[in-house]
Amino acid sequence: MPFVFRVPLLVAIALAIAFGGGIWSTLWALEATTGFGAIRLGAWEAFPDAQTAKADPYAKSHRASAGALLYGSAEGLSFTAGVDETGAPLRAACSYRIIGHTPPARLWTLYTLQGGRAYRPQTGVLPVALNSRSILRHGDGAFEIAVAADAQPGNWLAIPQDGRFRLRLTLLDTPAAGSSGLIDLSMPAIQNLGCGNA
Amino acid sequence: MLKVLFAVLTGLFGAALLHLVIILSLPYFSERDAYTRVLAEGSRHIFHRLPDARDRAGLVQDDPLMEASVCAYDISEGPVRIFAQGNVPFWSMAIFDAASNEVFSINDRTAAAGILDVVLATPVQLTVLRKTLPEAISQSILVETQQADGYVVLRTMVPQPSFAPAAGTFLSEAVCAPFEWRRRQQF
Repeated sequence: MPFVFRVPLLVAIALAIAFGGGIWSTLWALEATTGFGAIRLGAWEAFPDAQTAKADPYAKSHRASAGALLYGSAEGLSFTAGVDETGAPLRAACSYRIIGHTPPARLWTLYTLQGGRAYRPQTGVLPVALNSRSILRHGDGAFEIAVAADAQPGNWLAIPQDGRFRLRLTLLDTPAAGSSGLIDLSMPAIQNLGCGNA
Repeated sequence: MLKVLFAVLTGLFGAALLHLVIILSLPYFSERDAYTRVLAEGSRHIFHRLPDARDRAGLVQDDPLMEASVCAYDISEGPVRIFAQGNVPFWSMAIFDAASNEVFSINDRTAAAGILDVVLATPVQLTVLRKTLPEAISQSILVETQQADGYVVLRTMVPQPSFAPAAGTFLSEAVCAPFEWRRRQQF
C-alpha cells in the first residue's frame, strides 16, 4: 500500500467505528430498554418514574422517541411481561396460566401486545382483554387465568395464533405507583403449561 | 499495527461520545414525542378522542378496556379549566408539560365528589386568581405549572361493553378550555 493512503485509512476506520457504533448503540439502547429504574416482580416489569422529571436520560430519550401517553402516578402503573417464570419468551404456540394476586389496586386490566401493538382481532368476540371486575376468583381473592389461543374453561385470555407476545397488566389507582420499594408487592406468576398440540 | 489499534480505540471513544450526545439531546429535537403528536391531533383546548388503531398523528389508545382523550393547552394568555363529570366506574387525568414530564395527576377517588374540576395556571396567574377567586372556580383544584404549554390526558375505563356509552358521554362532554378569569376594567 502506498504510504500516502495510510493516514486517511486510519481516519476512515476511526470515523466509521465512531458513527456506525454510536448510531447503532443508540438505536439499540432505545429499542431494548425503557431506561433504568424498573421494578421487576417475577416476570413483570414496570417503570414507575418513566413519566416524571426524575426519569433518567435513557428513559427520557425513549419516551421522546416512542411518543406514547404514559400513566400519571395517580392514574396507574403498567406492568409488562415478555417472559414466563422460567425466563423463556412467551410464545403463542404455548399455553400459560397466570395465577396469584396483584398488588393492591382499585382495578386492573390485562391484555396482550404483539409487535408493540395491542392484539385486537377484527371479529371482536374473543376475550382479548380481562379486568378485575369480570374475572372469577377463588375464595381468598386469588385468580387463575388461562392464557391460550384456543378456548379454555374459567378465565380465558385469548392470545394471537402465532409468534411471540407480551402481557400487559395495568393497575389503576394503585399505591404501587408511588412505591419506593418499601411495600411488599407480589405479582401473579406466569406458568407455562406446555407447547404445541400436546 | 499499533496505529490501527489506536484508530479503533479512537473510533470507540467517538462512538461512546456520539451515543451520549444523541441520548441526551434526543428529547429536545424529537418529532415523534407525545406532545408533537398531541398537537398534530388538531386544535388546542379541545379534547380529542383517541382511536383503537394508530391515527395520523401517531397516537393510539392501546388498552381494549380503556378510553382516552387528549388536549393540548397553552396557558400563556390565561389559565385553563379542565372539567368533566359522568357516571363512569373509573376516570383519571394527568397533566404533562411539553417535555412529557408529569405536572399533576388525579383520579375519581382523589377528586371531590368524583368530579374532575382543575384549573391550571402559571404562578403569576394564580396570584391574581387567589386575590379575587371567581365564584365559578371556587371549588376547583388549582394547579401551578412553570411551563406554559403541554397536554392533558383523560382516561376512563370500560370494564364491560355496556359501559361504553357512558364512557363516550363522559369523554365527549369533558372541557379543557380557557375561561373568564379576571374582570375587565381592572385598572
